[in-house]
Amino acid sequence: MARRKVKAHIKKTQVDYADDEPSAFASMLGGLIEANVESRPEKQHDFESLVARVGIWVTDIDEGVTLDFKGGRLTVHNGLKPRRTITIRTDAETVMNLSNLKIGPFGIPVYFDEVGRGVAGKLLRGKLKIDGLLPNVMTLNAVTRIFSVQ
Amino acid sequence: MAIKAFSAEWADAFKDEVNKSAAYKAAGKGWKWTVGLVVEAEPDKFFGESRGIVMDLFDGAARDVKVGSAADAQKCDFVITAPYSRWKQVATKQLDATKGMLQGKLKLKGDLPTIVRYTKASQEMTECTTRISVEWPDEK
Repeated sequence: MARRKVKAHIKKTQVDYADDEPSAFASMLGGLIEANVESRPEKQHDFESLVARVGIWVTDIDEGVTLDFKGGRLTVHNGLKPRRTITIRTDAETVMNLSNLKIGPFGIPVYFDEVGRGVAGKLLRGKLKIDGLLPNVMTLNAVTRIFSVQ
Repeated sequence: MAIKAFSAEWADAFKDEVNKSAAYKAAGKGWKWTVGLVVEAEPDKFFGESRGIVMDLFDGAARDVKVGSAADAQKCDFVITAPYSRWKQVATKQLDATKGMLQGKLKLKGDLPTIVRYTKASQEMTECTTRISVEWPDEK
């Protein structure tokens, strides 16, 4: 009797850590993205297509990470690594708020509700700095969609 | 009058503070999971035995807050673990709970997207702990 091989297609988000001892912040961001992408299929497309090095520096704890998105794989580094596409510098509260931005029509983050206004206000007041923003708005939007827990 | 840190009386006072908070009522809407706080022993700070605070939080209200063993708290859906002195820093506003989690000073177990979604609620809960007048064992 002919046998048919049946393959289970269970997709596991590929998040790994560059350092033997990932920092708490690196583990938290990596874990957040992994859980987010696995539980929300709409984020899978962004994760699969995003190729960018995103630095996040938390100014009030003096810690940062580099998220190296490689089209369906993510490597999380402790600290800021060279050749970053975008670098976000802000305080811990705003990092959490970035994850709470709602995503509106056409996949654009919503900046007119309470959380969005808070984030936009910090950007205007210079308390949220994004290096490389202008040429990489689409990349930032994709990263925000992957981050967003809303 | 000051209440002994992490005692049954403290748990009652904490529950009352959470239920008095309009900010928590709004920010915690939709929350339906149990939260355990593990307070690890620090005998040199006169906190000799680990304790667990088990919180039954539902839709912006605290239905029950109890003090038990660390093992009781570890059975909750979300568990935050730290030594006694770290929790004291949180309750006395010397350490922001969000920063503490990002720095690994407070160790979190549970679904990360859910806890991030309720950042504001957890910040307000921290505020509630700061409103309780506490008698700390290492300050007697």
